[in-house]
Amino acid sequence: MVTRYVTQWLPGIFFGLAAATPLVTRDAFFHDTVILILMWGAIAGAWNVAGGYAGQVSLGHAGFFGLGAYSVALLAVRWDLPAWSGMAVGAALSTIAGLIIGYLSNRLRGPYFALATIAFAQVLLIVASRWRELTKGSEGIPVPFRPGFATLGFPSKVSWIYVALGFALAVWAVQTYLEHSRVGYQLAGVREDEDAAQALGIHSRRLKILAVAASAALTSIGGSLWAAYIGFVDPFYVFSIDLSIEFALKAIIGGTGAALGPFLGSLLITSLETYLRAQFSGVRTGFTGIYLIIYGCALIIVVRFFPRGLAGALAVAGRSGAAPVPQPADAA
Amino acid sequence: MSVLPQLAVSALLLGGVYALIAVGLTLIFGVMRVVNFAHGEFLMLGMYLAFWAFTIWRLDPYVVLVAAIPLFFLVGAAVYALVMRGIIHASHNVQIFTTVGLSVALQNVALVAWTGDFRFVRAWHSDAVLRVAGAAFNLSQLVAFALALLLTLALFAFMRWTRTGMVMRATAQDRDAATLMGIDTDRVYGFSFAIGIAAVGTAGVLVAPLYPVYPTAGLQFVLLAYVVVVLGGLGDMVGALLGSLIVAAVEVGGSYFLGPAWKEVLYFVLFILVLVFRPAGLLGQRGAETLGV
Repeated sequence: MVTRYVTQWLPGIFFGLAAATPLVTRDAFFHDTVILILMWGAIAGAWNVAGGYAGQVSLGHAGFFGLGAYSVALLAVRWDLPAWSGMAVGAALSTIAGLIIGYLSNRLRGPYFALATIAFAQVLLIVASRWRELTKGSEGIPVPFRPGFATLGFPSKVSWIYVALGFALAVWAVQTYLEHSRVGYQLAGVREDEDAAQALGIHSRRLKILAVAASAALTSIGGSLWAAYIGFVDPFYVFSIDLSIEFALKAIIGGTGAALGPFLGSLLITSLETYLRAQFSGVRTGFTGIYLIIYGCALIIVVRFFPRGLAGALAVAGRSGAAPVPQPADAA
Repeated sequence: MSVLPQLAVSALLLGGVYALIAVGLTLIFGVMRVVNFAHGEFLMLGMYLAFWAFTIWRLDPYVVLVAAIPLFFLVGAAVYALVMRGIIHASHNVQIFTTVGLSVALQNVALVAWTGDFRFVRAWHSDAVLRVAGAAFNLSQLVAFALALLLTLALFAFMRWTRTGMVMRATAQDRDAATLMGIDTDRVYGFSFAIGIAAVGTAGVLVAPLYPVYPTAGLQFVLLAYVVVVLGGLGDMVGALLGSLIVAAVEVGGSYFLGPAWKEVLYFVLFILVLVFRPAGLLGQRGAETLGV
């Protein structure tokens, strides 16, 4: 019975602890870790909207992330526009790209869709790294820091914790909506058996397109926030296939079937990464790669033996009349 | 000096190496119906094998090749037994993320073990420039092309004329029927995976004298290999050979007409167009991509 409350109250505990961080410690490094856990968790959650709930597995979400990041950087540097407008432009571009890719998802299944999304992000990577006149190419762009709300120029990490928390809660809410709403059930139907869903009168194509577009827009907003927080965009990072894979990795290890799953994945992975970076920085380059060896192996084991991820494992531990959790990783 | 012969020669030489990488990928897909997203990492391991053998024992990559083929065959067989066997009948998503996980793990094993530094295999043939009929190329390129083509053709002959090859083709065509005919499909999958990995690992040894060696060195090659196999039709070995020539031609032509900076856009756009309009590949049957591939 106790464990049941643990799973039910877990989102409250998770986000509550994040909100309380500034009260507990003033350690800037700790604050930074919390911000990154929330941001990466929210972006993994945005991936989950397409990859988990709609079953459209993308390996190119860094494309949307990069669009959001570059929009903020370029609009600030080239036209002196505030970060919010960059975020809006990035989200609009990503929505359009998401609609197109969502449309493709109706023509391409499984590995073909994954390959198409990889190609999408690669094209953006090449454009961003080669169109020097606009993007300064592989040098990257420093995002100017201008204090103020409109420019997302928050001087303190404490304000950033609440910005990241707001974004995380928004993504969490979208996912929770997809778990309990009519649209969410329709999407689950499409994911599990598209033909049967269509036979029931569900507009499966339209739903998938919308899910991918929504996922793209949210990912792009995450990219914009990240760019404003970090203050620097580099094409080989923001558009990289590694980043796309990390979004998926966090969502799957945390659990694609639950709204909190991607956040749990981010908690595990981001904190280990940050810890290793702090411990071994300068000792030997590349040593932080250890966390990716661990999580690469974990991914292989999780998709096969624990398709519901960490959140699923916690739900089983606390099972007593818990609602059945969808298992996107099992969907064909 | 005319540029056309130079372009043609460069395209052909590149195409041979792409073919060897792509043939392994398409063989694994054709027989097992699994896209190996870790394919590039075995190429990278082949490059490191060549680098370390060259650095420690001063062994020429072409000598290493003799050991690399059986070695990577065994590596492939081991990876099949440990990882791939369990996902043959799993869903697409499980298959995708199992090989993606393998890719992430292998890349970072290389990063932790050998750091992210660029390393070079400076064999005597890396800088030996040959000139034939107005076209210049170096000896490593030529040998890589010749050996890659030889191995690819040997693989074709094996698939075409041996009994094992026939069994593999039968399994690729219809795994259920193959099982009914008494074929041990598990062994066929393992064998195909091992051959595919042997091919790509060998390709890694062959390109080591030409390109820098680093943990993500496989990525650029394997992205190209995806373009190649989709062009040729996933699972189609002749298509893969044709696809590698097309991609090599696009790459060389693109870098001449658009400049090297933009050539990659060209083949990814080509890739997306083929995926959208002819996802079964140029030679493949229409509709293959929406069936339960």
